[in-house]
Amino acid sequence: MAQKGAKVVCPSCGADNLPGTLFCVQCGTYLPSGGPLRTEPLPEQDEANPARPRHDSASQEASQRDLNIEVTVVNTGRVLMLSADREILVGRLDSAHGIFPELDMTVDGGLEEGVSRRHARIYMRDGTCFVEDLDSTNGSFLNGDRITPYLPYAFHDGDVLSFGSLQLKFRITSADDEV
Amino acid sequence: MPKIDPLKDYYATLGIPQDASQDDIRRAYRQLAKLTTHPDSGSGDAEQFQTVRDAYAILSTVESRDAYDRLRQSRGRGTAPLAITGLQSRLELPAMEQEQALYVILDLVPRPDLGDARRKLNLAIVIDRSTSMRDARMQGVKAAAMDVIDALAPDDRLAVIAFSDRAEVVAASATVENKTQFRSALMAIAPGGGTELYQGLSTAISQIRAHVAEDTISHVLLLTDGRTYGDEKLALAAAARVREDGIGISTFGIGEDWNDSFLDDLARQGGGASHYIDSPSKVRDALRNQVRELGALVLHRTSAQVSTAPGVQLIESYRAAPTMEILQADAAGRLTLGGLSAGITVVLALVFSVAMTGTGPRRIARVTIEGEDMVKGAPAALWHDVWVTLRDDPCEGTVPPRLVNTMGRLSIYRLQERAWRALEEGSEEQAALDLESAATRLYDLGYRELGEAAMLEAGRISNGAPPSSKGRKQVRYGTRVLGDVPS
Repeated sequence: MAQKGAKVVCPSCGADNLPGTLFCVQCGTYLPSGGPLRTEPLPEQDEANPARPRHDSASQEASQRDLNIEVTVVNTGRVLMLSADREILVGRLDSAHGIFPELDMTVDGGLEEGVSRRHARIYMRDGTCFVEDLDSTNGSFLNGDRITPYLPYAFHDGDVLSFGSLQLKFRITSADDEV
Repeated sequence: MPKIDPLKDYYATLGIPQDASQDDIRRAYRQLAKLTTHPDSGSGDAEQFQTVRDAYAILSTVESRDAYDRLRQSRGRGTAPLAITGLQSRLELPAMEQEQALYVILDLVPRPDLGDARRKLNLAIVIDRSTSMRDARMQGVKAAAMDVIDALAPDDRLAVIAFSDRAEVVAASATVENKTQFRSALMAIAPGGGTELYQGLSTAISQIRAHVAEDTISHVLLLTDGRTYGDEKLALAAAARVREDGIGISTFGIGEDWNDSFLDDLARQGGGASHYIDSPSKVRDALRNQVRELGALVLHRTSAQVSTAPGVQLIESYRAAPTMEILQADAAGRLTLGGLSAGITVVLALVFSVAMTGTGPRRIARVTIEGEDMVKGAPAALWHDVWVTLRDDPCEGTVPPRLVNTMGRLSIYRLQERAWRALEEGSEEQAALDLESAATRLYDLGYRELGEAAMLEAGRISNGAPPSSKGRKQVRYGTRVLGDVPS
């Protein structure tokens, strides 16, 4: 709750709002969560060497096999298992806006590391994993190269994806191999 | 025991339906009594409290309640045509001299059973037959008009008017006993010529004016795909005039080339709806739904009047559903809501600024909904009071999620409307900024396609180009149906 009587300053555009305002009159930012939940641009960004989209045709034959995706968050060491049978949203939980990412980076310091609430999505096509950046504030990186928003990039076992500055190492193994 | 007055709506006073149980009545009374008898509430609402006590005295005993119900029934005042329920961002506010914001959304739910008795219709379909209405468009419009003919009852009236540079009466206003006659007249319309909308509109009005009646819904359905030339003002004035006579107007803009703010204004003046039809195949659904809604009208020419307590101001007012609109008070301070049809909940969203000191419950506003009850053929007025409890200590409270969702979507709609207005006033920079803000919020909520459309227009404007006609309509009509997420 804001201090009694104080104007609420929008963290996004700096406009003054009446206490109790839900959405900034100037820019529409959700004010109750606008402060702590907002994604701050990181001080410096590696925009050099943009990666090219690559579609791997060699993996076509591996289609429809069950894959195990094991994700290690590099800075915290947290390990997650993902199921590849549906699209995975990478981001930060924001229940007020109905954003419930499968890969929720909140507990890994996602905010400090510049992860947007809807940052990227990961999905499987024909046995290959693809990542697509959702025009996030701080961008997504495949093995250190920034990827273009809204274009799918294939990635493989051992690749490192970064969302903002948060690094995730992906282990992708076929379920059959692992008996 | 107070004297039973059948003209008073004791159920509305207690905010309960007529079929409420005795327990409900007790509960509603206790809640209201708590608000109005609080030691600090001596702020001139003794009269209000007396009304509540009278209502309770009469409804709490079965005998007097029965007597009241019978008297009411005999005067044709059954249950209210509409139920109003409210949701507030806060029920408690910290007392302070400074203004603070309070959000209220009201659900106006027409009684569903009133839709069964279909209203008699007196319609005119006005078809733009200018050269651009060739092929698929004309076929789509004809198919849609055929549907209307099929859907009408034999005692409904219909007129068909076609216009280009001038208007012609394709089928004069008549009851639709002979549907074949209407069908063949419709088929004979051939495209060719310019677009002079006022001609078509005024011809339609003269066709249906003679058949306006208390128990009939008179409405003009206007289908066009182009810009009219210089007669916008005439058309708007005519729409405002005939609204007084009880004739409504709805508009259907097909394709990208028509003037959306003009058709919106025309429908608003005419108390109807404005539709954007991006493909000829969608005109049938839009027209069919509009006619169905007209037939199920429960409250005609509805408006809302908001009166506020001292220290309280209404700062923004919207319709949030079924489609969004920024509501502007007319000269008499009324917000126009148009017609309310059975099965369609209209959601009103109001933003107040409140500057009040002291503690205890306060009535900060009364919202009165007025309209013509189509079932009883009499004027109807219902109201909803907005109460808050002022406290000295800082009060915590969570905002209902549904209210956050609704206001969030409205704020997007508001941003993009402000952008178009800024553009008209020549401030490109502000327009681009507002569209970018709207786009950001759309992405946040996962409406990617709409967000991209808004971003594209923002980009065009900041590069000094005019917005694309299609993009503008996509954004305007796309955001207005984001609508209200039901609880």
